Amino acid sequence: MVYARTLGGNTYTFQVSGKLWRNSLIMQDRETGSSWSHVTGRAIDGKAKGAQLEKLEAIETTWGLWYEAHPDTKVLEKSEEVKASHYQDYFDDPERMGLFRAQWLNEKMPGKTLVYGVVVGAHAVAVTDAALAGDEPVQIDLGATPVVVFRAADGGVRAFIPKAGAQGAGSEMEGLAVTPVYWFAWSNFYPNTKVID
Amino acid sequence: MARGTAAGNQLPQISNRHMREGTDMKRTMVIMTIIAAVAGGSAEAQRPEPKVVATVGGDDVYQVLPVGAIPAIDDPTFVSGAAANAQMSPGEPVLGIVLEGEARAYSLWQLDAHEIVNDEIKGTAIAATW
Repeated sequence: MVYARTLGGNTYTFQVSGKLWRNSLIMQDRETGSSWSHVTGRAIDGKAKGAQLEKLEAIETTWGLWYEAHPDTKVLEKSEEVKASHYQDYFDDPERMGLFRAQWLNEKMPGKTLVYGVVVGAHAVAVTDAALAGDEPVQIDLGATPVVVFRAADGGVRAFIPKAGAQGAGSEMEGLAVTPVYWFAWSNFYPNTKVID
Repeated sequence: MARGTAAGNQLPQISNRHMREGTDMKRTMVIMTIIAAVAGGSAEAQRPEPKVVATVGGDDVYQVLPVGAIPAIDDPTFVSGAAANAQMSPGEPVLGIVLEGEARAYSLWQLDAHEIVNDEIKGTAIAATW
């Protein structure tokens, strides 16, 4: 996830708090010491409690697809060679879901299913890879809001709200942030989430 | 979200090839959590017992590692795509963003050890998190 870290005139710098909440990372800002969920971007305690960072439209994809789509990209410099994830075993094991019990885990699908989460107002939806495998974008009514979710040419999953009256290619749309996340975590944050699988 | 986005203002290109590759990426495209760091990483040896330090929204907050034990990146430096391409494999997972027309990528293998990058793109302060 990528967040704008300026809010109400304050620019925060974040460090890794070492805390977990709902089995996911809590960021801590150096300016106030407040705790922020990296899944939602909301401050859960401290002086900033209740503040909401804006989540930007970042994607997760492979380097090959990203570079092909964005040949002018800049890339975070590596101070040393890194040739694999430290956590591949964790990713590959369907039984390992965080350190603590995933309280909202339910029987809809296996907890380690990767989903793409989208939030509009009070409504949340989780879309699976399987649902995105067709030729057509996935169209969802989220509350009263139509939302379109698709996998783009650079491999990233994106979502947008089509503007009323817009016509076909080149029309205006309002982009939405997409959160790639395991189902066990998403369902913990958004227990009333809609599921498209 | 109105900031400069990769989605832009035109309808998406969609291709079967990319969707197939996307499925292959399934296992690597995840939200990184400290969980994984603790469960699989070298931090395990020094890890104190997780301690409940607060309860928020009915769920406990656990202190698992000391603050800053996983160091965020505060002064990121960047290289060109060509320079990065020489060091990266095509299947390496990245976090990518386009803001104000500028594209940036962060290797997720690299972010395993940092989890947060405090960055700035064309005057907009951002935090890339994994």
